[in-house]
Amino acid sequence: MAAEKDEVRICLIDDDQTFTFGFKKLINLKGLSSSLLSFNNGDQAFQWLKNPFNRRQLPDVIFLDINMPVMDGWEFMREFAELKSQLGKKIAIYVLSSSIDLNDIYRAKKIADINDYIFKPVNEFQLSEIVNCLQNNVDHKKNCRYK
Amino acid sequence: MSFSDGHKFSDDSKQHLAQIIDNINAGIWEYNITTKDIKWSSGFYTVLGYEPGEIECSNHIFFEHLLYHQDKPAFLAALNQQQNTIAQPLQVRLLTKTSGYHWFESTVKKYHDETGQIMYGSIININQYKQAQTQAAYNDLVYNEAVKIAKLGSWEINTLTMGLSMSKQLYDIYELQNHVKLSLEEAISFFEPQHRPVIKNAIDNTVQFCQPYELELLFRSAKNNVIWVRAKGIPVIDDFGKCITIRGIIQDIDNKKRKNLALESSLNLLTDQNRRLQNFAYIVSHNLRSHTGNLQFMVKLHQETEIEEDRAEIFSHIKSISDSLNTTIDHLNEIVKIQTEIGNERTIIDFETLFNNITSALKSNIEALDAQIDHDFSKCPQISYIPAYMESILQNLLTNSLKYSSPDRKPVVKCYTLKERDHVYLIFEDNGIGIDMERYGDKVFGMYKTFHQNPDAKGIGLFITRNQIEALGGSIKVDSTVNIGTKFTIRLI
Repeated sequence: MAAEKDEVRICLIDDDQTFTFGFKKLINLKGLSSSLLSFNNGDQAFQWLKNPFNRRQLPDVIFLDINMPVMDGWEFMREFAELKSQLGKKIAIYVLSSSIDLNDIYRAKKIADINDYIFKPVNEFQLSEIVNCLQNNVDHKKNCRYK
Repeated sequence: MSFSDGHKFSDDSKQHLAQIIDNINAGIWEYNITTKDIKWSSGFYTVLGYEPGEIECSNHIFFEHLLYHQDKPAFLAALNQQQNTIAQPLQVRLLTKTSGYHWFESTVKKYHDETGQIMYGSIININQYKQAQTQAAYNDLVYNEAVKIAKLGSWEINTLTMGLSMSKQLYDIYELQNHVKLSLEEAISFFEPQHRPVIKNAIDNTVQFCQPYELELLFRSAKNNVIWVRAKGIPVIDDFGKCITIRGIIQDIDNKKRKNLALESSLNLLTDQNRRLQNFAYIVSHNLRSHTGNLQFMVKLHQETEIEEDRAEIFSHIKSISDSLNTTIDHLNEIVKIQTEIGNERTIIDFETLFNNITSALKSNIEALDAQIDHDFSKCPQISYIPAYMESILQNLLTNSLKYSSPDRKPVVKCYTLKERDHVYLIFEDNGIGIDMERYGDKVFGMYKTFHQNPDAKGIGLFITRNQIEALGGSIKVDSTVNIGTKFTIRLI
């Protein structure tokens, strides 16, 4: 369990089953993390994060899709902004979307809690850079921004 | 010296009278037809700008030099009139010494004395009055022309009696030939029914609160021509600030207004088409990209994976991507079809027949849910519409109601038509799980928007439905309460 504690915990919120499968596979394949949470939509993730029993297993990074049923990425960010102070942990959030609509990109830029906007499909270098950066800064609580 | 001896003037008094008349800027002339003797009073010279005696007093000078040639026939006619008729004052132009021709008014009288037949008369300078009259006539002409060009009529209401007076041009707009006096109510009744309260209200407000108004309203003339008019009214207030008169105009703006309305509607059409195009671009950018992205992703994983089991799993995902891609392309095709089918011929559709066809096609779904489907198309049994659209609209809405029925109660769906003025409405009501309007209100008809975790939800049906309805100039509205039901109100035409 001790090893798991140092590992970067990754969370994926996406309704696309194929992408979720691929994402998990890639993380495994590259050995980036063995701790991966995934949710089908914003609401599921929000309910899980809200639950105090899950406080000890909070992720270090959330990869968030935009277009999802029930609660989409934008709504999730609104709920998250209210929730984050109660979490007691800085969670990095990356928007992960196939939308190249400039409106979406600008909208994400305006939300302070979002670290960056990444276009799907994610490439392994981007992903490992983010995870490695987070790994290095697990204790320093620094932000990682993919350049 | 007396002015008169009975009713007869003496020679003396005649001279005296001439003196008096000379002083009021008028002149007297006298002509003895028998002796050809002619006399002008000094006033005669003065009104023409001459010193008495400065020009020769003769018939020749008068007719050939002083009298304007065009006025000669009129003057001669007056001279030759029968003795007893009372001559009308004559208006002629005479040449003055320094300022050209001036208008003069002259009387012509005749009498006999011992020397023969004598004619006499006075001349008065009426040039200023005549000029003012000419100017006024010109102003009038210009005003009338301007008003005619502007298609403008004016009116006035006395707020005490509420009596109305209308200009000639306003009668022209009303197309009333005999200028019969109209009461205010009668004048208002020429506006189309929906606009009567508007103008009535505006006039009431002007009377009560001195508020001016300017409106664009539909008006039906006496000859049954319906035109757009601009109706404008302003209050005239008394010293106490109360409105005593309303003055206003009614202007025929039909041409411009109709052009404007046509422009507006084509703008709306363009806006709609633009929105559809943007939607289209968004799907292309988002949905196709997400599928191709996934495909790239899977192919890459497939290359990097050695394990046969994993490869099989990856391949099954590639297959599902291929299916999704196909579906998305079908959806895009449907959207493109909406655009191309707009031009298709509309036919008379019988709601009852079409609806029964659709319910029998969805029979298994309806029976499985034990749903009760009520319909009533008696208010408007038929409509001229594109058949494929109507079928798709009814089918989408019915499927939607069934898909989102509540598991807690027997599904009841009501479908009926309404006719109101020129519009036909189609109403679809269900008692299903409803939609949270506060949260999703504006997104209900968006593409790929789903709000429930229903695995069948694709977020395409209502998007297509709205596009079909709007493509034919209609609109769709939704009211819903979570766990009570949903009501779609569709204005078809």
